[in-house]
Amino acid sequence: MENSPAATRRRPALPALTLALAALLWLWMAAAIWAAFAWAPPARGFQNVVSSRILFFHVPIAWGSFVAFLAAGVWSLLFLARGRRPRHDLAAAVAVELGLVFCLLATLSGAIWSRLEWGAFWNWDPRQTSIVLALVFYAAYLALRGAVDDAETRRRLSAAYAALGLVVAPFLFFVLPRLTFSLHPEPVINAEGDVAMDSRILIVLVTASTGFTALFFWVHNLAWRLRRAGEER
Amino acid sequence: MSRWLAEAAAVFAKDWRSEARTRTALNTLGLFALTTLVLVGVGLGPLGVSAAGTQVLPFLLWLVLLFATTAGLPRLFVHEEETRTATALRLAARPSAVFWGKLAHGLSLTLALQVIVTPLFLAMVQLPVGRPLLLVATLAAGAFGLAAASTVIAAIIAQARGRATLFAVLSFPLLVPLLLLVVELTRNAVTGEPAGDALRQLLLYDGSLAVAGSMLFPVIWNP
Repeated sequence: MENSPAATRRRPALPALTLALAALLWLWMAAAIWAAFAWAPPARGFQNVVSSRILFFHVPIAWGSFVAFLAAGVWSLLFLARGRRPRHDLAAAVAVELGLVFCLLATLSGAIWSRLEWGAFWNWDPRQTSIVLALVFYAAYLALRGAVDDAETRRRLSAAYAALGLVVAPFLFFVLPRLTFSLHPEPVINAEGDVAMDSRILIVLVTASTGFTALFFWVHNLAWRLRRAGEER
Repeated sequence: MSRWLAEAAAVFAKDWRSEARTRTALNTLGLFALTTLVLVGVGLGPLGVSAAGTQVLPFLLWLVLLFATTAGLPRLFVHEEETRTATALRLAARPSAVFWGKLAHGLSLTLALQVIVTPLFLAMVQLPVGRPLLLVATLAAGAFGLAAASTVIAAIIAQARGRATLFAVLSFPLLVPLLLLVVELTRNAVTGEPAGDALRQLLLYDGSLAVAGSMLFPVIWNP
């Protein structure tokens, strides 16, 4: 490989566009963090007004994990439908790993807030049950990947399992939380379709959610390329 | 269509024929259920007459059923791989026929288990049932969901290592939503309350498991 013309031409470590996007993401996240602490008004409805600012991170991170698991499902379907390319499978696996990190952070930040607001770290609120099941489902996905030796079989079976996740996820995120009484604050977009929220709080939540979604795709892209480089070597 | 039905029926009949020879699944399921039933009965006594019983006992009934089926249903496909008959089955029937034939076999096993376990359980703990029809509907819909999820997961784990553990790990997140719904419905059946939205949600969950399972099964089944 060292003598091929493509390898001798020096390429910059990062293309200019990527650098610009990274700088934008950095500024965006900095603005979201600043706004969460300084710009958004305190949420007076809660017992502990200061600690409620953790929600500006908890909700966007939970949203980010949902996006990650959705992306993992879509990449798995792409793998199954479009010629079974290993890179699609790898993209799904990396998305699940990152989604688990997001999911764990959402669980922890939720538990901390739950302790301050409700008085206990854990009380099996329907949404807490759902997030535990999501954690277990995608941890099981990784366990399945570890339990199959043949690479082709592993890709096929784990893609099918992740696609099954696309069916279960709506139940975990939307049906079960409504089945029983929940202490969770009303979802932003509730059954009546109105957004009962201060506009500045809403802006910060949307900004931070966009930021965390972009952060997921940024880290995903880095990890994915790193893993592919490692596998080709 | 009629050929498909014949193939699915053949898979179903074949499974019962080989089950009749060895009775492995029936023995495992039955004995497991019987031991846990005796444990519950000895440990709790006639709890059904108290108010706490109507809360706790529906959950225990489904716990017994769930663990008994997870002791027997993983064998649906593991057996084919162990006796090296999977390839013959791949040649003999199309994937969707295999899926529905296996699902029907798992469903009939689960229903047979329920027919024995549920009356015994209700009698042992002396639990009165306010709405018997709702209980029957819940048991049937729950059995279908259990069988559908188990069929998909059993097909996956048959091709992996550490099958028994892996089945529990993979099926748990699929079965817990089902368990929450059927326990809720069984409580309603016991106390005599109407089913509410839970029955529709249970049927929806059953349907989506079966549809997703039959769509994904060809990918899982064919190497």
